[in-house]
Amino acid sequence: MKKLVLSLYAAVTVAFLAWGYYQAIYIAPADDRLGGQGELYRIIFYHVPSAMVAFLFFAISLAGSIGYLSFRRTRDAWAQISDAWALAGAEVGVVFCTVVLITGPLWGRRAWGIWWTWDARLTTTLVLWLIYVSYLLLRRFAAGPQVQTLAAVLGIFGALDVPIVYMSNRWWRMQHPAPVFGGDADSGFKDPRMLHAFGWNILAWLAWGLLILVVRYHVERQSQKAAAQDVQDALNA
Amino acid sequence: MRKLAIGLLFALPAALLGWACFLVFSAPAEPPFDWMNHMSVVDHDALVALLDHLYLVAAYAVTWAIQLGYLAWLGLRWQAQKRAAAS
Repeated sequence: MKKLVLSLYAAVTVAFLAWGYYQAIYIAPADDRLGGQGELYRIIFYHVPSAMVAFLFFAISLAGSIGYLSFRRTRDAWAQISDAWALAGAEVGVVFCTVVLITGPLWGRRAWGIWWTWDARLTTTLVLWLIYVSYLLLRRFAAGPQVQTLAAVLGIFGALDVPIVYMSNRWWRMQHPAPVFGGDADSGFKDPRMLHAFGWNILAWLAWGLLILVVRYHVERQSQKAAAQDVQDALNA
Repeated sequence: MRKLAIGLLFALPAALLGWACFLVFSAPAEPPFDWMNHMSVVDHDALVALLDHLYLVAAYAVTWAIQLGYLAWLGLRWQAQKRAAAS
């Protein structure tokens, strides 16, 4: 039954992704305003939803980290579940954040003529990515009973960067474009078809992200259970 | 058969990544700052449109390379876990 639900969800997600792609490439018109970006702006349909999903998953990692720290002394099962969500959120968040950090410079190279600049939005996003990569390296290479606790603390500090990234191009107006929503008069989509394509791609990438998040959580839970079983076997021997 | 499937799982993201790199690094040079002295407006606009297209395709290809590569790695881990549990 679980497999059937997962397969159905995966099929719906692939349909959303195909529809989102169709909307982004074939339905949304080119940005042909004076000084517009022509076809190049279509990168936004993958770039911005990836950033939104990354933020959401870092928030899930934050909740998991707080949950682990709250339950680690009282309810071990809950603590392990929280820890698995924290790790899954951080790892899948890093995947989406990597997409953001690669598609952004590809756009910037054409729009600004440079791959990278130490703009507030770009720099805070890079710092966010580095924090969560260090979180994953800690989980991968450190050993001992304190690893989960240290990772949870790091996960909480990492998540503090998310609102700074989000607000960075509101607080410090530098080179990065204004926000799509809530920006100045020139920001946002000028054609409703662009907005529709954007909405479909948010939905599609969110569905895709949730799919791999759940798979990653499942893998981590199985890993925890196998490790617990190994410990039990060692104690029984 | 199994090895072929695993190979394909990693070959597709690698091919997408390679394609994106090829598109970006083999793209023609951008029009110079004083392009009006060297080319017509039509040629300039065609070159800009071509470059925009190449970078757009590269961005989409890189996105899929990362996502499918991660999915392939995750699938392998899941399978390895299943095998370990079975044994």
